[in-house]
Amino acid sequence: MADVKALQQERISIYHDVFDNKIPKRVPVNLSFALEVVAQYGKLNLVEAQWNPEILEEAADKMCRKVYSDVCVFSGTFRFPSFYQALKSRSFVMSSIGFIQHPEVIGMLPEDYDYLIEKPYDCILERVIPRQYEAFDLDDPINTVINFTKSMLAYNNDFMQAGMIIGKMTEKHGYYPGSLFSGGFTEAPFDLLADQLRSFKGISMDIRRMPDKVAAACEALYPIAFKKGLPAKPSKYAPVFIPLHMPTFMREKDFEKLFWPTFKRMVEEYASMGVHCNLFCEDDWTRYLDYLYDLPTDTVLMFEYGDPKLIKEKLGKKHIITGLYPIMNLKTKPTEECVDEAKRYIDILAPGGKYIFGFDKNPLLLDDINLESYCAVAETVRDYGVYSNPGETAGMEFNKEDYKVEPSRKFESKYYKTWDQYKALNPEVSDFGSPKLQGLEEAVFQYIMYLMM
Amino acid sequence: MTDWTHLTEAVGELNEEEVLKILEEFIASNPTEEEAQKVVSACQSGMNIVGERFEAGEYFVGDLIFAGELLNEAIGTLKPVIGSASDKKVGSIVLGTVHGDLHDIGKNIFRSMAEAAGFEVHDLGIDQPVEAFVDKVKQVKPQIVGMSGVLTLALEAMKETIDGLNAEGLRNNVKIIIGGNPVTKEVCEHVGADAWTTNAAEGVKICQGWVN
Ligand code: B12
Repeated sequence: MADVKALQQERISIYHDVFDNKIPKRVPVNLSFALEVVAQYGKLNLVEAQWNPEILEEAADKMCRKVYSDVCVFSGTFRFPSFYQALKSRSFVMSSIGFIQHPEVIGMLPEDYDYLIEKPYDCILERVIPRQYEAFDLDDPINTVINFTKSMLAYNNDFMQAGMIIGKMTEKHGYYPGSLFSGGFTEAPFDLLADQLRSFKGISMDIRRMPDKVAAACEALYPIAFKKGLPAKPSKYAPVFIPLHMPTFMREKDFEKLFWPTFKRMVEEYASMGVHCNLFCEDDWTRYLDYLYDLPTDTVLMFEYGDPKLIKEKLGKKHIITGLYPIMNLKTKPTEECVDEAKRYIDILAPGGKYIFGFDKNPLLLDDINLESYCAVAETVRDYGVYSNPGETAGMEFNKEDYKVEPSRKFESKYYKTWDQYKALNPEVSDFGSPKLQGLEEAVFQYIMYLMM
Repeated sequence: MTDWTHLTEAVGELNEEEVLKILEEFIASNPTEEEAQKVVSACQSGMNIVGERFEAGEYFVGDLIFAGELLNEAIGTLKPVIGSASDKKVGSIVLGTVHGDLHDIGKNIFRSMAEAAGFEVHDLGIDQPVEAFVDKVKQVKPQIVGMSGVLTLALEAMKETIDGLNAEGLRNNVKIIIGGNPVTKEVCEHVGADAWTTNAAEGVKICQGWVN
């Protein structure tokens, strides 16, 4: 028990050192498996485990004992079937093998732009959600309320159950009790518009046909995207996770005009509150490294592809780098080669600090990797990634005072009320109710926007 | 004899307005079917330019998607004057996203570029079981089978699909190309395909190399 506590202290200090611009004792091993992989490892039925996450505890514990990591090896999932299927989602559906995915579907039509720009949250609720979630049927309001309630209760329940397993494992195995996601989760305004609203194809057409509307829509979505990610308790150790989807599929001039301005402002606005972002730079960001450099100090940048040397050279003193190690190695290459490759990544990326070890993508199923190679790589990072100069200063220092942003549009909608607005309409409700009712208002907002991400 | 280079260029430039203007003027001139076929070819050649620019890093996936739509629109506009005289196909491809994976953006891009290059493409759709590939190959006897997958979980499915073709004695009658984000040289060897690419334009070239 004392050992576990000591190990947890070590883990807390290596993660905190990274955010305190200090060289840690060793490179944090930031590896975890999603629910599906753990279910397969425990020989559980994949679909059953997604419906009843509580049955995963034993398998999760077994996986934690098998694989070394500084964070909980079981990471849960973003996508439970319960809350998507209760609302008859068209945008998150299960494939034939029981893995939930997002097919290309359109939630917003080109003719909806003007309304989106005028009243973004109203447009999402009145037009986009009913298209993407068939059980949210405006012609059948009472059943819609029932379906919606079932979905939200399932959402709360399933995330809590997975969270309880993570909490238990964290205590039992002495993991770092935080994560690179713990501040919150949101998307760049442009990606919010692209992924679920206009679709990959739709946005690719709009960029050329109506770029001005795209730009205005990103401005309109800004306050929603910002609010979605805003941590309840801002902390420099709890980054907001933002996966980045569309930039590498765009021309630079479109990226610069349409994607970057609202996104950069968002990261800076969080920085001005002392909050970092964890950006998953999906695909190959080589041609955008200079843009990334301009983001606030200590932004966590997780890369999928790119040259680790170049990335370290250009960004390594200012930002925290993670990702890059190709997970496919673990399927196609012998274990010794995988281990050598891990040392090579550490040799390039660890010097000077501001580095956390991670893969370029997470395996989706157990078959995606050779588990023995995975374990060998994890242990290599733990044992090989040791610094000789812990405690020294690592690169540039973050100061939240350096970041100021122009005020943006306010979040306003008839479907969301601040306490004052609510109180004006319901003067009989006591102010003692404020934290509770406002908390619920907030929870509904969070859930609704989760459906859109 | 009209020279259609400017149309080819307008398609290559992805200048939608210009392409549609040229095509509307053309239709208004009451063209013959033969002339119309030439215009179709001119549009398809424009797709070559798009493919080259993509390979050169001037265009990106979003531009390929736009180009595919533009070509659809152009052919749609020309429909009334093209007639039934179907042009000769250079080869045929059975294409699909393998089981477990629901993605089709990359597959659809490859399909429209392969069609523009004169291939007949039999598109099975997404999340397709092994039998769907086997049955279609038996039925249409293509030269080429193309498989797509965006998620790493598609790779075992590709292997199973190829094993399935093997078990039915069909493997040696076709060339197999795989595409999609997680595909690499090692994956190609692992699953037993003949070629791999994460670039649709290069994929079309590989297929052309096989049928010539
Ligand atoms: C956009 C995107 C999304 C969008 C999808 C929007 C949509 N309408 O499809 C959204 C945001 C919804 C999304 C969701 C998720 N995603 Co996603 N996503 C991506 C991203 C950034 C791009 C994928 C894409 O569409 N590329 C564009 C297409 C055109 O590229 P392509 O398929 O490779 O096709 C090209 C070539 O390969 C070729 N080609 C394709 N097929 C074929 C076939 C033949 C025969 C030939 C010759 C050529 C060819 O032609 C194309 C043009 O050159 C990738 C990152 C990446 N590097 O790809 C992650 C990625 C695919 N997603 C990933 C994940 C994990 C998810 C989620 C599970 C996350 C989550 N927990 O919710 C969800 C759900 C899964 C899903 N995608 O359904 C992971 C998958 C990891 C893995 N182990 O495989 C990736 C790789 C990101 C990462 N590094 O982790 N995603």
